[in-house]
Amino acid sequence: MATLNSTGGPGVGVLEGNALLGWLYSRRDQILVLLILIAGWHGLSLLLGTYWIGTPWGVAVRLYNGLLNGEIIRHSSYTLAEALAGFAIGGIPAAVLPFLLRRLPIVTAILDPFMVGGYGSPKLALAPLFILWFGIGLESKIALVAFTVFFIVYFSTLSGIRALDTKLVQMAQVMGASEAKVARYIIFPGAVPHIFTGFRIAMPYSIGGAVVAEIISANRGLGYLIQLRSMNFDTTGVFVALVAVCVVVFLSNLVVNVVERRLLRWRPPSDVTAQKE
Amino acid sequence: MADTALTFDESAARNRRIIIRVGQIALAVGLIWIWKIGSQTAGELFFADPFKVWDRLIAITLSGELWMHTYETLRISFVGFVLGCFFGVLLPFVLRRMPRLTDAIEPYIMASVGVPKYALIPLFILWFGIQDAPKLWLIGLLVFYPVFIAIFAGIRGVDGRLINMARIAGASEARINREVIWYALLPFFFSGLKIALPRAVSAAIIGEFLVGNKGIGYYIEHSRQQMDVTGAFTGIVVAIALVLIVNSALTYIDKRLNAWRPTDRHMAV
Amino acid sequence: MSALLEVRGLAKRFASRAGREPSPWIIQNLSFSVNEGEFLTIIGPSGGGKTTLLNMIAQIDCASDGEIRFQSQIAPVNDLKALKPGLDCKIGYVTQEDNLLPWRTCIDNVLFPLQVQGKLNDETKARAQNLIRAVGLAGWENHYPHELSGGMRKRTSLIRTLVYDPPVILMDEPFGALDAQTRLQLQDDLLRLWNLGRKTIVFVTHDIAEAIALGDRAIVLTRQPSQVAGEHRITIPRPRDIRGIMTHPEFVDLYQRIRAQVQ
Repeated sequence: MATLNSTGGPGVGVLEGNALLGWLYSRRDQILVLLILIAGWHGLSLLLGTYWIGTPWGVAVRLYNGLLNGEIIRHSSYTLAEALAGFAIGGIPAAVLPFLLRRLPIVTAILDPFMVGGYGSPKLALAPLFILWFGIGLESKIALVAFTVFFIVYFSTLSGIRALDTKLVQMAQVMGASEAKVARYIIFPGAVPHIFTGFRIAMPYSIGGAVVAEIISANRGLGYLIQLRSMNFDTTGVFVALVAVCVVVFLSNLVVNVVERRLLRWRPPSDVTAQKE
Repeated sequence: MADTALTFDESAARNRRIIIRVGQIALAVGLIWIWKIGSQTAGELFFADPFKVWDRLIAITLSGELWMHTYETLRISFVGFVLGCFFGVLLPFVLRRMPRLTDAIEPYIMASVGVPKYALIPLFILWFGIQDAPKLWLIGLLVFYPVFIAIFAGIRGVDGRLINMARIAGASEARINREVIWYALLPFFFSGLKIALPRAVSAAIIGEFLVGNKGIGYYIEHSRQQMDVTGAFTGIVVAIALVLIVNSALTYIDKRLNAWRPTDRHMAV
Repeated sequence: MSALLEVRGLAKRFASRAGREPSPWIIQNLSFSVNEGEFLTIIGPSGGGKTTLLNMIAQIDCASDGEIRFQSQIAPVNDLKALKPGLDCKIGYVTQEDNLLPWRTCIDNVLFPLQVQGKLNDETKARAQNLIRAVGLAGWENHYPHELSGGMRKRTSLIRTLVYDPPVILMDEPFGALDAQTRLQLQDDLLRLWNLGRKTIVFVTHDIAEAIALGDRAIVLTRQPSQVAGEHRITIPRPRDIRGIMTHPEFVDLYQRIRAQVQ
């Protein structure tokens, strides 16, 4: 996928000297687009009225106030807690199961169509079911997220175990490694990059899932805020909640990426085993 | 001779396949059985009886209700899908000619990928009403992104080597567009499609949870609100079946179309 | 004194599907022996089953026929399930690819077999450090494989097997993928290290000059189905000067004799 590629023009003396200005200059196209977007937003808001779309400044102020009085933090943490709990409950068994099944290929084969079916089925479409079972609170969202995350991480981990270089296993065996040691020293570290790919893909789904479930039925959380404020025609408030959702997604992705980079320092830069979505 | 012990044993492989099939059927039967037990112990307010679900399924099929809702969901998925595809294919081609614009807006496009589109549904309902429009926006967006990214990557991948080769061989610009780029793009387009089409159907269903009075999603949520647990289960079974059928059809077409390509079985999910 | 390692009438072909013609023999009626402390080189054309042979000796592949004896005991080569890779760490195996664990640093890779065998202690750690220094990798211990050059990775792979001191070491064209300079250097290092311990080494190569320079004895294999075409005692005295070996009077004679046998 394309990467940022803006070329800076030949440096004008004063800009060359200052690193920050230099950076800004090299990004001038993108900054221009940003300004156009904001101006357009503001123009639209003036044109249609804040009933339909709040002004950029209005959203910023509302966001600031929301942060100050803790409201945004409260609902964000509620949503984040659901996402993380579901992530753990779904992700950890999903990462462990393929290792346990490794020596039982028949069991894996028996399970396969069920797993593929689970992965392919519209998991968010089961939201009403979870709400029916667990009620309007935390638990239904956690269950939904766990269900979604499970299949993603299961398949990533499985492909990681399958992609293993058998020569490494043989090498360890020649050196006297037992089955358990092979699993611990070769298979597990070899599968870790794939497990992390699964985590990386599943993270936004877990937050998105929590938010969607909250939109359908909840009494707390960012999705609840979005729904409530939409009902009240409070578009500025909706935008504030949406910004909060984006920030949560961004931060969680950041954390996963940082952890991944630390854990996988050993990877050669051109390793293509990790798939990007 | 030790050699015979190593001859590939066809009958052993066949036995293995039989064991796997039997295991799968047993597991499926076991799950339905657990379902039945669950509905008896947990009470029918939580777990619909599988036989009642089956009866309901037959009933709504016969009454035409099933077809009406399925048609509604598929109709809206299809329209949204076409819209999303249209822009998803068009935009990369337009941007191809304007690299400076592409660089300028790229970070914003990538940032917008991070916005969970489902979170926008209430906003769409607010803006666009309670008919098809908000659902179409949702589906369109969900389809747009994978198709756009796939085609965009495909064009970037194609530009350069093959095009230079074609130019050197004397191909006209139009010919290049048609043959080189199109054929090179096909696998990318298809990979985007495989993600986008099931998403379109899922999005339609979820959109129907929140707005509208027809469609499978509506049926599920409406049943839930009426505490009609059997209905909710029935709707969910239909929803899952629908998406799985779409998935299988796509996988089948994919296999046929790309039979000539060496597959990496590790990438198969 | 009976040989340390004996291969008798070894034969190998891959399993064929029932109903189809049996697949061709890769190795047939292969017999040779290796004495303790001997450096044996095996020369053969590429694709001639040399790796398969080593795999069988190392017990990671089974034979279709014949037997392998180690220290006069029959090794279980005929049954896939009875294989004991490495024969309880008595047989070390330096493969063609370096097979380093990419997630471990250089020194952690070298310590790996010790860790697996539960022999990790101060003494063995010191031995590892000595080996690292001996092959010129000092200062690179904490680098990951992707940060090392091909030659460095080869060296790491080599000392990884040396560190736990197996009585027999198999080597499968270990220097094949390296440039000529590095190869000469590593051949020199190998002989120097071998001199310290006089292990038994079975070294497979397709390079005749290398086989003569390194070995006490050279065995030539035919094409498929591989058999022993001939045996040559290398009478060039040790210690050998790798770089100047080609000027040794006996070298040319040996080379031509061996060359004639290799098709």
